[in-house]
Amino acid sequence: MKIKDGFILREVAGSYIVVAVGEAVKNFNGIINLNETGAFLWKILETGGTKEDLVSKLCAEYEVDENTAATDVDKFINNLSEAGLVK
Amino acid sequence: MLIYKIADVVFGLKPLYKYTPHLCENYLYTGDLEPEFSIVTTEDDIAYERSLSGAEKFPDYYLESLAVFRKLCDFVLGFRQGIIFHSSAVAVDGKAYLFTAPSGTGKSTHARLWREMLGDKVVMINDDKPIIRYIDGGFFVYGTPWNGKHHLDTNARAEIAAICEIRQGKENTISKISSKEMLAVVFNQTLRPKELVKMDNLLSILDKLLTSVPLYRLECDISREAAELSYGTMTGKEIK
Repeated sequence: MKIKDGFILREVAGSYIVVAVGEAVKNFNGIINLNETGAFLWKILETGGTKEDLVSKLCAEYEVDENTAATDVDKFINNLSEAGLVK
Repeated sequence: MLIYKIADVVFGLKPLYKYTPHLCENYLYTGDLEPEFSIVTTEDDIAYERSLSGAEKFPDYYLESLAVFRKLCDFVLGFRQGIIFHSSAVAVDGKAYLFTAPSGTGKSTHARLWREMLGDKVVMINDDKPIIRYIDGGFFVYGTPWNGKHHLDTNARAEIAAICEIRQGKENTISKISSKEMLAVVFNQTLRPKELVKMDNLLSILDKLLTSVPLYRLECDISREAAELSYGTMTGKEIK
């Protein structure tokens, strides 16, 4: 799983946001807010990764158990898929 | 070639129609500075504006004026740390207050309430599409001829004292809001460039804007009380 081309993560005024550039603007013209965990997972997906990758990296970075991490990752991936941000 | 100065940018204009020179006549420049760049519009530019205007049918001369504005904003964003900010910008005692909201919410109406309350003390910098620029550590708002349906603008600039999001409400309340809360509001009321480099320019300007200018949210009706509340809170002054 990987973030589609044209969607970029930036930190603006202390907030993590995702905006579209280039051809991606045709389908998305707004702004998406991410929390710190979301930004962490997003950065992994910029180069691509599996759900298992995300869960293990989340567990390694933050002090969470695997079940909680898996739930968070599922939720995040669902949101990304619904918004059409991953391929 | 006609020469204009808008947002402290001197530029040449070679239009296809007479409307844009008419619109911009208060911004004609007769000084000695050389134009920093030139705007030449083509039928392709007009076709592009038409493709963005949806179901509404606008005449070509009007679409050309939008194309000119887009090119000016593009230059200002690329080279002068400036953005268009869809808002009603008023100046009082040399300080500017920007009311922003999606079209139809009532930002022009609220600016009118300030005029009714304060009279000649209010300078209408621009009622719809001012340009704001980051200069020497501060933010300034500039009048432009793209001035909204009431045609209110002044060829002037003022330092920005506050930005206020307007929402319609049954009671009048105002509160300071965080840059996080204002980010999406401001982002949606500016022109969003497609190119990565320009998007980063925009986000860098917004980062500075939202961390240096006081931000408010006003929920209001259409009354003098609403104007007294926003004026009193943002300026710290009482109405005399």
